[in-house]
This record gives sequence, C-alpha cells and structure tokens, in this order.
Amino acid sequence: MATIGHNNLNAKLVGPSSLFSISFCFFFLSQSFSIPMMFSPCSFHQVLLGDMGAGKSSLVLRFVKGQFLEFQESTIGAAFFSQTLAVNDATVKFEIWDTAGQERYHSLAPMYYRGAAAAIIVYDITSSDSFTRAKKWVQELQKQGNPNMVMALAGNKADLEDKRKVTAEEARVYAEENGLFFMETSAKTASNVNDIFYEIAKRLPRAQPAQNPAGMVLVDRPAEGTRAASCCS
Amino acid sequence: MAHFSFNLLHSLEPKRDSYGFALRPQYAQTYREYSSIYKEEEDERSDKWSDFLEQVAESSEPTSENEHKDTLKAEPESNEVREERNPHKLSNGDDSSGRQFSELEEETIVVRKSAEGNEIIEETIQDRVSKGGDSSDRTTSGGTEIKEGTSPGRVSEGDDSSGRNFICYSATGNNSGKEQHHSEERKTCEVQRWAEIRPSLITIEEIFSSRIKKGKQMKGGKINGINVHLPSIEESEPVDDGINGSRAENALVDQNLPELFSRWKELESLVQGGVPKDLRGEVWQAFVGVKKRRVESYYEDLLARDESEEQDVSSAAFGKWKKQIEKDLPRTFPGHPALDENGRNSLRRLLLAYARHNPEVGYCQAMNFFAGLLLLLMPEENAFWAFAGIIDEYFAGYYTEDMIESQVDQLIFEELMRERFPKLVNHLDYLGVQVAWISGSWFLSIFVNIIPWESVLRVWDVLLFEGNRVMLFRTALALMELYGPALVTTKDAGDAITLFQSLVGSTFDSSQLVFTACMGYLAVTEARLKELREKHLPSVLDVIEERSKKGRAWKDSKGLASKLYSFKHDPGSLEEERILTEGSDTVADGNVQLESHSSNLDEMLNSLNVDSEVGSLPHLQEQVVWLKVELCRLMEEKRSAILRAEELETALMEMVKEDNRLQLSARVEQLEQEVAELQQVIADKKEQEAAMLQVLVRLEQDQKVTEDARRRSEQDLAAHKFEVHVLQEKYDKAMQSIAEMQKRVVMAESMLEATLQYESGQSKALSSPRTGRVQSPRFENPTRKVSLLSFGLGWRDKNKGKPNAEESSESLHDHSSPRKESDNQ
Repeated sequence: MATIGHNNLNAKLVGPSSLFSISFCFFFLSQSFSIPMMFSPCSFHQVLLGDMGAGKSSLVLRFVKGQFLEFQESTIGAAFFSQTLAVNDATVKFEIWDTAGQERYHSLAPMYYRGAAAAIIVYDITSSDSFTRAKKWVQELQKQGNPNMVMALAGNKADLEDKRKVTAEEARVYAEENGLFFMETSAKTASNVNDIFYEIAKRLPRAQPAQNPAGMVLVDRPAEGTRAASCCS
Repeated sequence: MAHFSFNLLHSLEPKRDSYGFALRPQYAQTYREYSSIYKEEEDERSDKWSDFLEQVAESSEPTSENEHKDTLKAEPESNEVREERNPHKLSNGDDSSGRQFSELEEETIVVRKSAEGNEIIEETIQDRVSKGGDSSDRTTSGGTEIKEGTSPGRVSEGDDSSGRNFICYSATGNNSGKEQHHSEERKTCEVQRWAEIRPSLITIEEIFSSRIKKGKQMKGGKINGINVHLPSIEESEPVDDGINGSRAENALVDQNLPELFSRWKELESLVQGGVPKDLRGEVWQAFVGVKKRRVESYYEDLLARDESEEQDVSSAAFGKWKKQIEKDLPRTFPGHPALDENGRNSLRRLLLAYARHNPEVGYCQAMNFFAGLLLLLMPEENAFWAFAGIIDEYFAGYYTEDMIESQVDQLIFEELMRERFPKLVNHLDYLGVQVAWISGSWFLSIFVNIIPWESVLRVWDVLLFEGNRVMLFRTALALMELYGPALVTTKDAGDAITLFQSLVGSTFDSSQLVFTACMGYLAVTEARLKELREKHLPSVLDVIEERSKKGRAWKDSKGLASKLYSFKHDPGSLEEERILTEGSDTVADGNVQLESHSSNLDEMLNSLNVDSEVGSLPHLQEQVVWLKVELCRLMEEKRSAILRAEELETALMEMVKEDNRLQLSARVEQLEQEVAELQQVIADKKEQEAAMLQVLVRLEQDQKVTEDARRRSEQDLAAHKFEVHVLQEKYDKAMQSIAEMQKRVVMAESMLEATLQYESGQSKALSSPRTGRVQSPRFENPTRKVSLLSFGLGWRDKNKGKPNAEESSESLHDHSSPRKESDNQ
C-alpha cells in the first residue's frame, strides 16, 4: 500500500509542472496515461429526470441489467448505474444518475444534471400530469443545463396503450420544437430501451484536435464532468 | 379481528433475510456467513439487556412509591379531571372511557412529578389551546383564530368537544353515502390499536420523556417561525440543542437520583451494542417518547376527517400527497410478507394521518420506508407517534418542500470530510465526483436500502437513543473510513462510485460499523453540528431565495470548477456559451481573461473588475463579486490541497526511508546475532574436536597396549600350543611304550619260564646264582628295569636272529618321529 500511495502521489505532483505551463495548474491535477488514447473508453455523465412513478428506474434497470420489476422501489435522492456499450468504432461508457421524481426533490436535481452530457426526460403516456412535468424539466435544462447537452424525451409505459393519455404526435411535435429527439419506450417489454441509449451515444459529440487553440495542451483522458466530452474517436 | 401488529416473519426463502427484507443475490453468500454471527450476538445482547432491565426494575421500586404519594396528593385534582371528562364518558363506551381516564391520570401524575409546577401547567394549557385552535380551524371553515395564551383551557376543551359532536352529528345524517363513508371510517378506527409497552421499560420511557416537554415547545416555536419567516429556524436551533445536548442533565434534575448517570452510561453502552429483536419495537417507542407524545383520539380524528371539510389550498396539496402515497404503497418493500393488503392499509392510514398532522411536510418519498419499518415493529398508532417524533424533531426541516436542513447537512458533511479525509476528497475532486452525490441519499433514506438491514437497525438504535442526527454523520464518516482507501486507487468516476456502492452494500459486519462510528468520531457532536448549521444555513437560504425570485438556480462553486474544467477539455464550448446564454456571459468572459491574464491573483481580479465595469447591470455585478469570492476560495483550497499533498508525500517518503532503516537495522541485528551464534557453534565444535582428538590419542595408546598384549598373548598361545603338542607326543609315546612293555612283559615271562625249565633240566648247580640277580633289580628300579629289558632283549635278539629285528626298527621309528615334530614347531 505504501508503494502504491507513493506512486500515486508522485504521479499527481508531476502533472502540473510537466503538462501545464499556464495558470490553470492551480485548479487541475492531471495525470498521463500509458494506455493508447484510442482504446480508452469515453465516459459520459448522464441524468434521468421525470415525474415520480414515470418509470425512470425501470428504464435504467432494463438497460443496464435487463431486469423489470413490477414494483420497483422508490428512488430516494438518486441512484447510480454504469454501463458500457459499443457504438460505431467507439466504446462509450455511460455514468447514469437516476434521480428521485417527487417534485420537492427538484431542489437537489441541479447537483446531478450540472455537467451532464446527456439527459433523458421521462414521462408516463398514461399520465398527462407527468407530461406537463416533463415539459417543465425541458425548460429548466434549457435555461440552466449544459447548452450542448443531448436531450431525449421518453414516453414510457408504451405497452399500456389502452390507458394512453398523451399522444405520440403531441410529444413528437414538442420534442422537435425544442431540439430533443423523441422515442416511446416500454421498460416492461424492453421496447426502444436500448435504442434510446444508443441514439444518445450516437449524438454525443467527439472532441476534434483541430479546435485546440494555440499553446493549449489537451489531456486526452476520460473525464467526469466533461460537458461536450473530449474523448477518442 | 384484523391482525393488529405484524410480527417479524422469519421467512425461509433464501432471497430474504431474517427480517423479511429482500436480499440482493450478490450478497446472499455473505449474509449466510454472517447469519450465525448475528445469532450469537443476539443471544449475548439479550442476556445483557435482561440483566440491565432487572436492575432497573429493582431500582425503580422507590420511584413507584413516589408515584403512589403523588397519586394521593393529586386526589383532589383527579376529581376535577373526572368532572371535566363526564361528557366524554357519555359519548364513549365504559371500557374505553375508563382506559382513557387512567391515561389522563397518568399524565397528571407526570405533570405533578416535575418541579416546575406552574410553568408546566401553562405549557400544557398552551398546547391545548394550540391544538384547540387547529381543531376549530379544521372543523369550521373560516372560523375565528384563537390566540395562544389568551383563552382559558375550558374554552378550548369546549371546542374539542364541539368538534367531536360535529363528527357524531354528521355520522347520523340521512345521507346514505355519508353514512356508508363514516361507517367505513369507524371500522378502520376499530382496527387500530394502542398498546402499552412492557412494565420493565417504563422507567426508561420516563427518562426519555423528560426531553419531550421542551420538544413540544420547540415544535410550536418552529411552526410559528416557518409561518413568519425562514431565519427563525436558526433561532429555534439553540432550543433544540438544549434538549439534545443536555438530555442527561434534564434526566438528572427531574429524577434527582445519583445512580441515574451510571444507568445512562450503561444503557448507552448496551444501545451501541444493539437492541435485541424482541425488545426493539418497545425500546424505540421509549426512546422517542411515544407515550408522552400521544394525545388520545388524535390519530383517530385525523383519519376520520373528511376532505371536503378542509380549506381549498390544503385540500389541493393533500390530494397531491394522497396520489403520491398511493403510488408509493406497492413500492415500499415490495414483496415483504408483512406488507400484504392489511399492512399496506395501515401504511396508507399512517402516511395520510401524518400529512394532515404536519402540512408543512405532508408526504415526502423516503417517509414511506420509515413508516413501513416502524409498522413492522409496533402497533399502528404507536408507529404513528414514533414516526411523528422522528419527522417532526429528529429530522425537522429535512423533508419539507425546500428540504432546507437536508441541503445544509450535505454542506456540513462535505466540510467534515475535507477535515477528516482530505486525501480522499482531493481524489474525488480530481475524478469529478461530488461527496453529496454519494452521501445525499444516505442521509435522506437514513441508510434504508443502502446498507444491510442488520446494520440499518443498529444505526437506528443509536440514532433514536441519542435524539439527534449525530449518528447519521458518524455512520457516514465510518463508511468513508472503511472504504475510502479502496476509492483512492480508482481512476474513473464511474468505477469509483460503482465500487463504493458495492462495498457499502456489503457492510454486513454491523458491529464493526457501529463501533467505528461511535468510537471513532467523538469530536462530531450536536454542539459542533449546531455551529456548522449556523455557518452553512445562509448559503442554502440564499440559493432558495434566488431560485424563487428568478425562477432559476444559480450554480454553486462546484459548477464553477466543473465549468473551468470542461473549458480545458473543450474550448469550443466557450463561444457557444456566449451566443446561447446571456447570463453566462460574465462567466465566459471570466474564463477567457483567466486564460489570458493568469500570472497572479490580483491581475485576474482586476480583469474581472474591468469586465464588471463593462456590464453595467447590477445583476451581473453581483455575479462578478460572487465569482471573485468563490474564485479566491477555490484557489486557496487548491493551493492548500497541493501543499498538503506535497507534505504528505514528503512525510510518506521519510516514513518509507525510516521504515527501511528500521528494517535494515533489525536485519543487521538479526544477522549479527546469527553470526555470534555461528561463532559460538564454531567454538563449541572446536572444543569438541579437541576433546575428540584427546579421545583419539587415548584410543591409539590403548590400541597399542592392546596390540602388544595381543602379540604377547599370541606368543604365549604359540608356546602353549607347542608345549601341548610336545606333551601330547610324549603322552602318545608313553602310551605306546606302555603297550610295548606289556607285550615284552608277557614275552619275558614266557621266555623266563622256558629258560628256567631248560636250565634246571641241564645243570642244577651253574644256573641258580644268575637267576637270583635278574629278579632283584626289577622290583627296586623301574627305570633300570626298562634298560635291563632292552639290554637283555638285545642280547637274546642277537642270539635268536630275525624276530628281534622288527622290534628294533619300531623303536628307531618312535625315536625319530618326535624329532621331526619338534623341527616342525
């Protein structure tokens, strides 16, 4: 342990002096990776928002673990999930925060969506109130979230067609008007669950070396909190 | 009758633990390993608690005598109480009336026992007045508000009775729908049950009840404060601190017993060791002071209330809470055998009753789990009062609409983390992980569904005993201590959080967790937390106020750090930010100027000043000022973190070197010892060698002596052999001689006879003298006899001829053979 700690500290301290010759060395400790850049998975911070009982947790559980529970326990605060998937030539790693949906937990949500690269706003097609709530989330994210955030609108519980209250057309129009992409999903039947996450992965931007300003050194490293992520192509 | 309380079911299903809660598959094996440990611990603590309760029962006998005296003294007042309750008697059955009367009497005794007579009475009146006020508000829309302290108690009691009469009147109305509705309500009322805890725990309950009087006062103050303005919450904190911080003193003053402190310490030790399963429900009630908190018929009245009776505003909110509760009922410990339809009905009633009881909170997700847990341990109404105590006092302000206290506690916890585990927090900052991401759900859920159930219950034992949230912080710090080192080795935010969640979920060693928390963080006290709350509350209030004013939340310091960090990795986003967000313009400009003028802090601040001059809006100026402050703080923090890291590295290197030196010196000492030992061994062996040489010399000498002796013995042997041989030859020769002599004797005798006959026949006179000579030498000399015989024989042989020749050859042969033998020798 002493050896490991020693190396770790040493590596941390070498970072500022060797990699950053400019002012930001006070803010960031960085670390070089021996792993070739193109083989490192890109990590994206992602958040799920929506009314309570809309099925946010069921959606994530279906995607990450392939499970569906008829009665998923209420989420308190937020729950974290991690999943890696392959998209085109890249490996993408999702770090997913599944937030509590009750309205009063709204004051805690900024902590989770700030710095998120993507957000899924979930509503229940059998509940008009949940669609209203989803629209409020869209507005809040547009005002306060990452401007480059990829946003998806998910109409969940698509298997309950006989109880539908929100038409797909209405939701699609709203999504197009506000720059989101829209899918109706069903965590129960696994309909469009993987598709919505894959679509997000496809839409997430890649860092382009040409954009580097003169004299700026970018560390090609997967980073939590990266907004439009810099990652391998 | 319906099943009143739900006993713990020891389900045999492998997917559930001994409490009936779901067990995740990846932890099933670990849980089975700990099951036997849990059993042993349970037996041990049951014995300890039994001994303790027996001692308490013995020492409480004098107290019961005091109670008896108080009863005698209170006799006149009890008569008044009876008179006052006569109308109540008429409206209820005899049994319930008697029961309630006895409870009232007990309450009177409790009041009388305290030494603050008048003040207590006034407080009691105030409580009644306030409750009466609530009742009148609820029963009559638009009714007149009753001010506190200005109305006599009887008037408020009259209001209460009129409220009940109203309910009875509506129940007897002609409307069949209403009748059916109220009959259902009455049925549900009948299902509920209040149960007294066992007598041995009453003493403990009385001790803990002593802190509730002030609690009620605090509660009233807090409610008023909330109604008036938020900062008054800060004012009510000192009262809260007084209650919790000096609970032992309160108990000592009230009971006036010198033994009480030692009892308290002993009880504290037992609680930290865990409360036995069989006692847990009742002990928790004693800790929260359920009996003291209870107001008769209050719970039934809450449930019996009709929605249409409430005001529009509260009715709308209540409707929302009702829907949310319905959604969460099946999502509370799904599949638990005790939460069947009856269990869920109890849970619904409890949560609805509480929403009416405390509209400032209503219903908040997480409360469903607490209520469910309490219903598993105690009857419904008891659970309600325990639940109300926890939400109203232990976690006051936590689950309100703004969740103020929850956010304040997260800031406090982060500060404690930076103070206690700076390296870990620095690493999390580096990964981009916020402490509150992890601990936020811990605090809001009070670790339910976070750690294994055995550990949850152990934490709650201590939490309810202490009467405040200190145990919440200590447990969280203990988890960081136990699993923080594993986090420091991770290089990715996702891996760090996933690993940490897995480790936390496997905390089956409940004793280790609780003892680490209780013994390792004694510096985390209610007084300390109070100070930190005063420190962090304003920033949370500012954020909430700004959000309510401008409809948007401003990003905190973490946001700034994340923004700068993101800028480093994607500078293109800067221009987009400028275009898209006017509000972020200042921040973006700050970033650019930070980049271009970053030689020192002053220049950066001046740059920000320049920018603020350009942006003339007060709003922007305020933001810039705030940014400056945050920027300074951030830079200081980072610098101190870097310095700390360097110090740690230096210390670590020195420790490593010292450690090596110690090892080397120890190694050298060992080697020296070994060398010394080897030298001793060598010396010993040399001595042995010398000794062996001496022995060898002696052996050689002995050998020589032996050799000489052997040679002599050989010579002697040879000589003896020779002699033996010689003797043998002589013996043989002698034997042969004897044989020959015998033959000659025989021949001689025969010849002699012949001769005698011849001579006597020829001449008588000549032969007679010779015969006489021959006979005489034979008898005198045997040796001569032999010589004579040989002479005589020779003579005769010459005379005879051949027969004598053989005899002479034999004698020569015998004479020559000894010579040959001696030559051989």
